[in-house]
Amino acid sequence: MLVWSRSGKAMVWSFAALVIGVVFLAPLAVILAASFARQWNGVLPSGFTLEHYAEAGGGASGAAVFASLTTGVVASLVALISGAWAALALRAQGGGAARMLGVLFFVPSAVPSVSVGLGLLVAFSQKPLLLNGTTAIVVIAHFVLISAFSFGNVSAGLARVSPDFEEVASCLGATPAYRLRRVTLPLVAPYLFAAFGLSFALSMGELGATVMVYPPGWVTLPVAIFGLTDRGDIFSGAALTIILVGVTLLLLLGIERTSAIWAQARNG
Amino acid sequence: MSDAAASPRGVKVDLGALWVAPPLIALAVLFLYPLALIAHAAVYDATDVVNLPAAWATLGSRAFVNALFNTAEIALAATAGSLALGLTLALIIAFVPFPGATFVARLIDTFIALPTFLATLAFTFLYGSAGVLNGALVQAFHLSDAPVHFLYSAWGVILAEVTVYSPFVLRPLLAAFSQVDRGQIEAASLLGARPWRIVRQIILPAALPAAIAGGSLCLLLTVNEFGIVLFIGAKGVITLPLLIYDKAIQESDYQAACVIAMVNVALSLGLFGLYRVAARRLGA
Amino acid sequence: MTLAAFVDEAATVSGAAELRGAASTVAFDRVSVAYRGAVVLKPLTLEVAAGEILAMIGPSGSGKTTALRAVAGFVRPAGGRIRIGGADVTDLPPYARGLAMVVQNYALFPHMRVFDNVAFGLHARHAPKALIEERVAHALEVVGMSQYARRLPRELSGGQQQRVAIARALAVRPKVLLLDEPLSALDAQIRRSMVEEIARLHAELPDLTILYVTHDQSEALTLADRIAILRDGALSAVGRTGDLYRRPPNRFSAEFLGRANLLPVVVESAADGSGLVAVRAGEERLVVAGADEPAGAARLLCVRPQNLTLAPDAAHANRIAGVLREIHWQGELTHLVAEVGGALLRVVATRLPTIPARGERLEMFFSPADASLIAEDADV
Repeated sequence: MLVWSRSGKAMVWSFAALVIGVVFLAPLAVILAASFARQWNGVLPSGFTLEHYAEAGGGASGAAVFASLTTGVVASLVALISGAWAALALRAQGGGAARMLGVLFFVPSAVPSVSVGLGLLVAFSQKPLLLNGTTAIVVIAHFVLISAFSFGNVSAGLARVSPDFEEVASCLGATPAYRLRRVTLPLVAPYLFAAFGLSFALSMGELGATVMVYPPGWVTLPVAIFGLTDRGDIFSGAALTIILVGVTLLLLLGIERTSAIWAQARNG
Repeated sequence: MSDAAASPRGVKVDLGALWVAPPLIALAVLFLYPLALIAHAAVYDATDVVNLPAAWATLGSRAFVNALFNTAEIALAATAGSLALGLTLALIIAFVPFPGATFVARLIDTFIALPTFLATLAFTFLYGSAGVLNGALVQAFHLSDAPVHFLYSAWGVILAEVTVYSPFVLRPLLAAFSQVDRGQIEAASLLGARPWRIVRQIILPAALPAAIAGGSLCLLLTVNEFGIVLFIGAKGVITLPLLIYDKAIQESDYQAACVIAMVNVALSLGLFGLYRVAARRLGA
Repeated sequence: MTLAAFVDEAATVSGAAELRGAASTVAFDRVSVAYRGAVVLKPLTLEVAAGEILAMIGPSGSGKTTALRAVAGFVRPAGGRIRIGGADVTDLPPYARGLAMVVQNYALFPHMRVFDNVAFGLHARHAPKALIEERVAHALEVVGMSQYARRLPRELSGGQQQRVAIARALAVRPKVLLLDEPLSALDAQIRRSMVEEIARLHAELPDLTILYVTHDQSEALTLADRIAILRDGALSAVGRTGDLYRRPPNRFSAEFLGRANLLPVVVESAADGSGLVAVRAGEERLVVAGADEPAGAARLLCVRPQNLTLAPDAAHANRIAGVLREIHWQGELTHLVAEVGGALLRVVATRLPTIPARGERLEMFFSPADASLIAEDADV
């Protein structure tokens, strides 16, 4: 509606296609191509192979997939519960103090991940909480980094729920617990699913805090990918990156489907 | 409403406020306490003795000053680039929509969910010394050496960050553009305004808060970016987060790491404040 | 309500009238509400009789919604007590007060079907399944929504959603039904039919006490047994609907409840036991209903526009002359504005023998029974 002429539109669109192609599609495409490539010395890769995936399927790389998935799911679930809890409690409380606490819950998203990792390393390498070298410290690091996003998503969802729903429910005899279960949580359910999805995606790609705290037996996908590329094995790194992207997108898609199916089942 | 308000049975303690305690305790133990220990470790050395000269030495060191300068330069350039790219794409998607524009917008949106180092890895294949671009140039012009080297400089980091952070600008801008009254644009067109004039006078003012919010978020994220810089691994491109990692993990110099971390955290919190103010103006 | 009470009632469910709860009074006893230090409701004392519809009207910010929310338990009074059916509920949480509420934007739970929306309050009180089905069916029948039980709220029109919201409130057989601007979100035509609907509903459920908050005086006039007019957080007037309309106690009530002509007059002779008072308005001598008015006192004469007529007859003993300034024909009605000694009088006429022209001298007549006197300073 800004550009009316046919030639003008064609020009704008070609420009957009070029930019989107070079900036967003080419990176994904080359990693995908490299993950199947035997060699890449010229313009195009040469030789098709599934070797890199076969390597990734077992051993160290398989363990990385397991570590990332476990960390992601556990940290996201804990962050969801804690974030939803905080958002609900602050909303019920209201007022200026609640608003300031709300900002406090957002702060972890602003602090660089490496510093969060460093802090955990310093804090939990000494008594009373000796967690250094455990998988728990990795999960904690991920939880801290994603907690603000869970809190933010649920808060945004709650802000859209009119207080009328809850007031009418109370008036009709619903106790706070019943109201939470039957009215408030169902109304924010889409935001709970979205919060979990975003948390999980962030956890899957987390690198900065993880490299500071991970124990030898709990290497997550990004750390494993860094290890491979640092050694010069960029093709295996590409294959593992594709696995990381695939797992993340599959889970996001799964969450979206679950959210839709759940919403339908509830109405059915 | 506070339960403590005038009650005939005397003062009631408002137990409702205690509900926020469990998540608040988690935040305090797992985030605030470690942050406080960083501050503590910044002034105490390995033998737990106050060592301010060491802290000052770190702040005065060439490595730190360079990292600070690099961080600022890369963050500002990457934010400017993300704003330019995000704004251009948002304008086209919103106002010169093409078939599949919403799909493309969603596709770009998924970049938010992907790890940032993916861009660096891809750039290695595209623009690395043995990558697609250099391969093509060597082949086309029969060169003996790869002619393109930007990947291993600050430019490599900046371009990779533009790729992964422009979606963070695109998203709020598309939301803001969807609020712009289409009738206004049509009326301006009928009155003879050229597209550029409409963009300048109608669309950009409406999108300013979104651009500021997206831009300050970008600035925060680029200051904190770690994966992209680590993966490029260029000797000359050390930023604050990477320097913290080097000091702590490679050199085991925790005091220096903590001193730098304090500076980095302070910088980030300042930018976070900026972002909050911008986001509030946006009404987010 | 106990489970036993539910079962008892289940045995006797036999018609729409059974949806009523036990008739309850509502009493405000010097209830005041402050919000962040600002007083939004000054000490209010008011009683709603069992089975009565009391409308609270007033402009926005008058405190009417605050008063309703205090009854519901959403705001805590800074002082005073609230009693429902004689029991002090001031310290009870909303869910323990045995009420039901209908709000402006319906607030039907979007994730529940109509049936589950109506069943909500009964589920929340752990009513047995058979009773729930019975009650929901009846409530939906009363509002004429039986065939929509399986629909989702978003599949209904605004008027239908509001019917479901009313059914949801009735299903719990509340002691008191709170209606907070229930029709404000509907367009004019549906609003009129819903007003009639609520009037019919109350005729079928004569024991149901209703507290009805609205800014629309016509809804209040149609539905309410009594009206309380609030202004700036205080009760300005309260009375039976007809009395309040015919004899407003102050200028604010006169002007807020319907349209009023207020003509400054001076009392000429005090009431003589006949219930009539003679007053003088400029040159004119008028006789109006009133008592105990001291001679020489300045008053406002209040007469409604539709009670002024242009045709003299025996019943309309009073005559005022003025000059016609404006005339607007509006189909069924004609609105005229006449100037009488500096004051403007509005006349609403249903039929006119001849159409007067602007600038013409106009004689208006009204019956003493249709006029009342308001003390000029009684402007609370």
